Amino acid sequence: MGTASVSVVFWQILVDGFAVSSLYALGAMGFALIFGVSGVLNLSHGALMVAAVVAAWAAGDQLHVGPYTGAAIGIAVGFIATLLTYFIIVSPLLRTRKIREEEKEIFILTATLLWGIMIQELIAYLYTNNAKTVAPIVEGVMSIFGVRTPKNELFTAVVCWLVIGGLWLLVNRTRAGKSVLAASMNPRGVTLLGIELSQIYIATWAIYGLLVGIAGVLLGMFLGVSSYSVGPLTASAFSIVVLGGLGSVSGALIAAYVVGYLETITAYLISPAYRTIPALLLLIVVMYVRPRGLLGRR
Amino acid sequence: MRFSSAMRTLLVLLVVVVVASFLPLGVSGYVLGLLTIACYFGVFAMAWDLLFGFAGEVNFGPTFLIGTGAYTAGILDNLYQPPIWICVAAGTIAAVVGGVVLALPALRVRGPYFGLTTLVAVLMLQNYVVVDASLTGGEIGLTVPDVITISDAKNYEIALWFMAISAAILFSLSRSPVGLILQASGQDAVQAGALGFNVTKHKLFAFIISAFFSGLAGALMVFYLGSASVGTFVDITVGVQIIIAAVLGGRRTILGGVLGAVFIIAMAEALRPIGDLANFVVFAMALVVVLLFPSGFFGLLTRAKEGG
Amino acid sequence: MAKLEKRALFAALGASAVALALATPGYAQDSNTFKIGVIAEVQAVAGSSIPQAAQLAADEINAAGGVNGKKIELVTYDNHSSAAESIRAFQRAVNEDHVNAVIASYISEVVLALEPWSGRLKTVMITPGAASDVITQNIAKDYDNLKYTFHGYLTSTSLADSTCAAAKDLLVGQLHMKSAVVMSEDAAWTTPLDAEYLKCLPDAGLNVLDHIRFSPDTTDFTPIFNKIEGEKPDVMITGISHVGVQPTVQWKQQEVPIPMLGVASQATNSSFWNDTNGATEGVLYQAVSGPDVAVTPKTLPFVKAFKAKFGNFPSYAGYTSYDEVYYLADAFKRAGSTDSDKLVTALEATDYVGTIGRIQFKGKDTSNPHALKVGPDTITGLMLQWQDGKQTNLWPANVANGKLRFPKFIKIGSAN
Repeated sequence: MGTASVSVVFWQILVDGFAVSSLYALGAMGFALIFGVSGVLNLSHGALMVAAVVAAWAAGDQLHVGPYTGAAIGIAVGFIATLLTYFIIVSPLLRTRKIREEEKEIFILTATLLWGIMIQELIAYLYTNNAKTVAPIVEGVMSIFGVRTPKNELFTAVVCWLVIGGLWLLVNRTRAGKSVLAASMNPRGVTLLGIELSQIYIATWAIYGLLVGIAGVLLGMFLGVSSYSVGPLTASAFSIVVLGGLGSVSGALIAAYVVGYLETITAYLISPAYRTIPALLLLIVVMYVRPRGLLGRR
Repeated sequence: MRFSSAMRTLLVLLVVVVVASFLPLGVSGYVLGLLTIACYFGVFAMAWDLLFGFAGEVNFGPTFLIGTGAYTAGILDNLYQPPIWICVAAGTIAAVVGGVVLALPALRVRGPYFGLTTLVAVLMLQNYVVVDASLTGGEIGLTVPDVITISDAKNYEIALWFMAISAAILFSLSRSPVGLILQASGQDAVQAGALGFNVTKHKLFAFIISAFFSGLAGALMVFYLGSASVGTFVDITVGVQIIIAAVLGGRRTILGGVLGAVFIIAMAEALRPIGDLANFVVFAMALVVVLLFPSGFFGLLTRAKEGG
Repeated sequence: MAKLEKRALFAALGASAVALALATPGYAQDSNTFKIGVIAEVQAVAGSSIPQAAQLAADEINAAGGVNGKKIELVTYDNHSSAAESIRAFQRAVNEDHVNAVIASYISEVVLALEPWSGRLKTVMITPGAASDVITQNIAKDYDNLKYTFHGYLTSTSLADSTCAAAKDLLVGQLHMKSAVVMSEDAAWTTPLDAEYLKCLPDAGLNVLDHIRFSPDTTDFTPIFNKIEGEKPDVMITGISHVGVQPTVQWKQQEVPIPMLGVASQATNSSFWNDTNGATEGVLYQAVSGPDVAVTPKTLPFVKAFKAKFGNFPSYAGYTSYDEVYYLADAFKRAGSTDSDKLVTALEATDYVGTIGRIQFKGKDTSNPHALKVGPDTITGLMLQWQDGKQTNLWPANVANGKLRFPKFIKIGSAN
C-alpha cells in the first residue's frame, strides 16, 4: 500500500471533497429552486450543463477565444438553453388544457427527459462523445494545508460560494428575489399580491439558467464532461435534491456536501470504482426512513 | 356491453396478428429482425402502461425489471448451459422477485419519490452489473452461448405470437374488474380506498404482472440477440424509449404500446439515411407528439368517442 | 370498438408495416462487386477513421482495376458504440446486403458480441482495433465455428510486450528508472494487458509497486493520482482507452510529478492536443503508427492520401482498416472465390506489408489463432511522446525522430 500518512489523506479528502461538493451544490440548488417554485423536475438538467461546457470548449477550440470569453460564451449558452427549455417545453405543458392536472407532472418529466436526450444526441453528433475540458481561467498549483492543489480547484470553490452568496442576497434582500421565495412557499398567495406567476417563473428559470451555466463551465474546467455525462449529472442533482428535501434550496446545499464528501471519502479510502454507491445507498435509506428528506417541505 | 367491446378489440388484434404472421413470405429478413425487436419492445411498453396508465405510478425504471430478467437468464446460460426455457423461466421469476422488492419501498411513497425510487433501482442495477463484471460481463456485455434460432422468420413468429398473447392477457386484465379497480386507484387512491378496495394490494399485483412480462420479454430477447449488455437492457435511455413508446401509443390503452414501439423503430429505420441525426429526429418527433398530441395515437383514434 | 376505429387501427398498423418495408432499400443481389461491410463507431474519434480509411483503400484498388475483375464495394453501418446495434448491423449486412466480409469495430466488447455471429452466419470478420486476447483465445477453443474471425490489431498481451520493450530502452536504459505503478481502466481488454504488464515490467527492470484499476466512468482522478503519488513510483504505466482527456488534463492541472507511459488510445488521435488544451505534453503512448514515421514504405503515402481526402489525420484504427481492405482483396484474389471457407484459408496465408508492418496471422495450433504476429520481422509497435503539439516517435531507435523530454512539473527519479 502507499506510504502517504493519514493526515495527508485527510487533508486531501477535505480539499478535494470541498471543491466537488461546491460544484454539486450549485447545480442542485438550481434544480431545487425550480422544483420549489414551479413544481417542475427538470430532467434535462444534466444536458443543459453539458451544453454550457461544450459551448465553452467549442468557443476555445474553434473560435480560438481566450478562457474568459470562452467561459462567458458557455454561461450564455447554458442560460439560453435553460430559458428555451422553459419556453418551449415547460410553459406550454403547464398551461395546456389537453392534459389533466394530475398527469402534467408525468408529461413534464417525460418531455424534459426527451429534450435532454435530444441535446445529448446533438452534442454527440456535432462534437463526438469524447470528453471535453475547458481551458481553465486559473492555472498552476498551490499548497493548501500541505496538499498540492490546482489553483483552479480553489477558484471553483470560491466562485461557487460567491454565486451561492449572490443567490442568498437576491432571494433575501431584493424584491424580485423575495417574490420568488414567497412563490416557492405558496404560489397562490403570491398571485394575490398582484404578481404575475408567469413572471416569477421566468425570473426563476433565468436564475436557474445562470446557475446551470456557471456550474457547467466550472465543471468543464475542473473535471471535464462528455455527452455521456448528461444522465449521471441529472441523476446526481435529482438524488441530492431528494436527499435535501424536494423544494428546499438550503437542503440541497447541505445534501450536496453530504454526497460530495461521501463520494470523495469512498474514492480515497475504499476504491474509486465504488465512488457512487454509498450515496445511492444513503438515498435509499433516506427514502425509506424519512422520505421528506433533510429539510423537505412538500 | 363493456366486455363485448373488449372482445371485439381482441378479435381485431387476432386478425391483425394472423395477417402479420404471413409477413415472412414477402418481407426481407432484416425487416423481420426489426419487427422482432419491435414486438419485444411492444411488450415492454405494454407492461409499463399497465403500471403507469392504470396504477398511475410513473416508473422510470422499466429497465430494472427487464434488466434483471435478461441478465439472470443470460448469466444462468453462461454458467451452466441449462435448456433455454429454464433460463427464460429463471429470468422471469427473478424479475418478479425484483418487482416485489422494488414495490415494497416504492409503494410507500408517492409522486416524484416513486419515480426516484425506480430511477435509483436502475442506477443500482447498472452499478452492480458494471462492478461485478466477472459474473455479468460488466461494461463488456454478456455473450450467451445459445440462441433460440438463427432463422429470421422463426424468431419473428416467436416474438409476434408472444407479443400477441401478452397483449391479449394485459388488455383483458385492463378491462377486467381488477383493471378497473387499478384505474380507480391510479386516479384517486383515497376514493378507491374509501370504496373498500385494497389499493396497495392491487398496485402490488400490477407490479408483479408488469414485472412478469418485462422479465419474460427481456429474457427472450437475450436469446434472440445472443448477448446482453447494459446499453441494451438497463440503460436509462432504453427506459425512456419504452416510456415514449407507451405515451406515443396512448396511455391506458395497453395496445397503444405496440403501436408506439413499431412507430419508434420504423422511424429510426426510415431515418437511417441521415445517419447520426436519426436518433435526434426520432426523439424530436416524440417530443412534438408529447407536447401537441398528448393522448397519443390511440388517443387520436378514439378521440371521437371520448370527446378530446 | 366502433367500425371507424377498427379501420383506423388497421390503417395505422398497415401504414407502419409499409413504412418499414419501404424503409429498407432493396439491394439486388449484386455479384459484380466484392462487398465489404464496415461496422464502426462513427461518432467516436477513433471509429470515424475506420470507414474513411476503408473507402480510401477501396477507391485505390478500384482505380487500379479492382480484384478478380470485380470492384470493391463498401457498406457502412454506424453501431453507436452498442453491441446490440452491431449485432443487428451484422445480421443486416449478411442477410440483407449480402456482404462477403465484415470489418468491425475497435471496441473489444462489440467484437466479442459479434464473434459468435460471424460463426453462426459464416462470414469473415476482421477487427481493426479491438485488443482483447479473448477474441483469439475463443477461436482456439472452437476453431471450426469461429475461424471466420480475424484479429487485425495487436492483442492486449502484444501491446503490453511492446510497451515493456520500449520502457526497457527508454525508461530503464536512458533514465535508470526502477519502479512503476500500473494504472488502467476496468475493461475487457485491460485484463490480459495488466496481467502481461505484471510479468514483463519486472523483466524490463521496473518493479511494480501497485496495480490500480478504476471504473471507466470515473470523472474525478484526483484520488487515484494522490494514491499513486503516495507510493512514489518512477513512472505510471497506463492502460486507458475509454478515458483519456480527463485523466490527462487532471494530471497536468494537479502537476502530478510522475510521468505517464503506456497504452492510451485517445492519445493516438491527432486532435488530442486540442482536446486536452495541451495538457498532454510529455505523455508517452504506444502506437502502431505516428505522423512522419515511415514504419513501412506504404505508411506515409497512406497518411498523405488520407489527409488530402478527409482533412485530418487517421486514427490508429484507420491504418489497420486500410490494410485490412487491401489484404482482404488480396485473399479474395488468391482464393478466387467469395466462399467464406476459402477466404479463411487464404487469409490464414496472408503475408502482406501494410502500413503498420508486415501482416501475418498466427496459426490454428497456437493459443491465439488469427492474432497478428509480433516481432522485429513483423510488427513491433512504436512509442511516441507528445511534444509541443506534435506526436514525436522515440522508439524503436531506427525510426525515432526525437528525444525524451518532460514538462517542468515532472520529477525524474522522485523515488527516494
